[in-house]
Amino acid sequence: MSELYRPAEPVALQFTGSAGEYFRIWIVNLCLSVLTLGIYSAWAKVRRKRYFYGSTLLEGSAFEYLGNPVAILKGRIIVVLAFAAYSVLQQIYAAFSLVLLVVILVFLPWVIQRALQFNARNSTHRNLRFGFHGTKMDIFGLLLIGGLLVPMTLGMAYPFYFAMKRRIFVDNSAYGEQRFSFSATTGDYYVAALKVSLAFIGFLVGSIVTLGIGLLPLYLLLRAYAEASFARLAWRNTMLGGIRFDCGWTAGGLFKLYFVNALAVLVSFGLLVPWAAIRSARYKLERISLQSEHGLGGFFAAAQENVGAVGDEAGELLGFDFGL
Amino acid sequence: MTAIRALYFDGKSSAGHQVTVGLDAQRVLRVRGAGIELGWPLGEVRASGRIGSSWRTLYFPDGSQCETADNDGVDQMFESREPRAARLLHRWESGLGYALAAVVITVSAAFAGIYWGIPALAKRVAFALPAATESLIGRDALAALDRFVLALSRLPAERQDTLRKLLAGMSSDKDGAGGYRLEFRWGGRAGANALALPAGIIILTDELVALSKDDRELEAVLAHEIGHLRQRHILRHILQDSATALLIAVTVGDITSLTSLAAAAPTLLLQAKFSRDFEREADDFALDYLARRGIPLEVFAAILQRMDEKRPAGKDGPNYLSTHPATRERIERARGAR
Repeated sequence: MSELYRPAEPVALQFTGSAGEYFRIWIVNLCLSVLTLGIYSAWAKVRRKRYFYGSTLLEGSAFEYLGNPVAILKGRIIVVLAFAAYSVLQQIYAAFSLVLLVVILVFLPWVIQRALQFNARNSTHRNLRFGFHGTKMDIFGLLLIGGLLVPMTLGMAYPFYFAMKRRIFVDNSAYGEQRFSFSATTGDYYVAALKVSLAFIGFLVGSIVTLGIGLLPLYLLLRAYAEASFARLAWRNTMLGGIRFDCGWTAGGLFKLYFVNALAVLVSFGLLVPWAAIRSARYKLERISLQSEHGLGGFFAAAQENVGAVGDEAGELLGFDFGL
Repeated sequence: MTAIRALYFDGKSSAGHQVTVGLDAQRVLRVRGAGIELGWPLGEVRASGRIGSSWRTLYFPDGSQCETADNDGVDQMFESREPRAARLLHRWESGLGYALAAVVITVSAAFAGIYWGIPALAKRVAFALPAATESLIGRDALAALDRFVLALSRLPAERQDTLRKLLAGMSSDKDGAGGYRLEFRWGGRAGANALALPAGIIILTDELVALSKDDRELEAVLAHEIGHLRQRHILRHILQDSATALLIAVTVGDITSLTSLAAAAPTLLLQAKFSRDFEREADDFALDYLARRGIPLEVFAAILQRMDEKRPAGKDGPNYLSTHPATRERIERARGAR
């Protein structure tokens, strides 16, 4: 039995996708989705994810996405029917929309849990599946904190919520039978949030000094700073068995990435969306690295079970994303 | 025998092995590496479809697999077994010319769908909807208007009766189909106005009744609203709006929010155009009705003119942005019609 190699140095993810190649995949996906009135979009989604996963290498072997388009299509049909019923009923019976909202909130934890499960279980590396073991109650508690405590404390509880969200996601994720673990504390999140708040004051002052001209770029810079600092905090406190992670995203790097992307997408009427997607993936993936004493060969498979795709689709449509 | 280099994973652990994969004369796939000597008939092995130059996987019956970046090698081995659809898809994705054709097809298909497809579908659904559903919608819409915009009418009961009789007389006209209900309200913010709601409800505001100098003018306005009701314009509007939003969410779902915004802008302009088309249809019905009853078309033009003068200046924006056709244009149409 031979190991590929044993790294002592940090090893970064490698991304081999190209904009030219992805542009053709993207436009064919979009074309077939429009021509089939959206039915093909399930296959399009799988094709897109397979391209990105299959172009992301770790120690010389690629990730793989195994989501079944038919399962995704079924999930999508259910979500579209629910969404259509909601939007029609909302327009027609204004009074019922509140009742419907409550019904949706009850189903939300289930939907989100299934989404995370489906996505993890259909991601593999080295022929081992990832997994998500969080329960509906975990998600329900999280939604309660995010939906009630955060607004009630006028956002003061937001770092607490943000830390809890990441902890639930990481601690319940697994590669094969090995669980990930998360070591950042709520205090770490408050420190990071404090720095972002100071940056926000800088943003306000800067916007006023430049008479509003700097508003948009400065806002983008603020967003980039917040995203980079929370991502670094999260990754540096994530472990998988004996493996440590590192993240090298910087505020300046993300700012340049988003600024150029937004400009390119706008002036090209959306035709440069694939180019922007490839640039983002390259920047973000190639700055995440792993350090391990024993290499990646020592993980073992977990018992298998199948998960439907309803949750995955609903989670996506509702914009709920843990942002791995 | 051509061989490709690949990584072998048994599916039980993450340990990887460098192997070569080749097809022998008996069409058996041979996997060879240090300490590994495996073979399966080609028919029992499945290969993942090609997507650009991303990595491919060969799935073996026992759950183990080989992964490789040698796409051409895999294509050669599995050429005869790859589904036709997968081959066509890959060929379409391979040429820049094909990709440009896809851009043209996408844009024209999306436009055609929103311009013709959805309105046609909404029309069919609106006419197929059961009467019970329609009356529920109408009742709720009226309740919502009462709560937020309209107030109780101050019109004397006998005046209301006269106008109700006028509408009853109109609907007994053999093309009028009957079953309409006239409601009077104080317009408030809505001002001098008339509205048609699903299930045959027509609302006249006190301000509009006061504005009219002749009941034949109100008859023309009522005819216009009957035109809306006969064509189920309000229902179709609700259905079109929801369907368009849904279509955009589903097909453009994978794209960033920035481009969905860009996609929504022309849609809004199209919606405005549909509203104007509906107004024109209702006007045509009203003018046709007046002509049949021998009422001069001028009465419709006159009430439109007075409604326009009552409106605060500048509220009637340029034609292409407005949901109502500019009133001047409607007055000219009324005067220009035979």
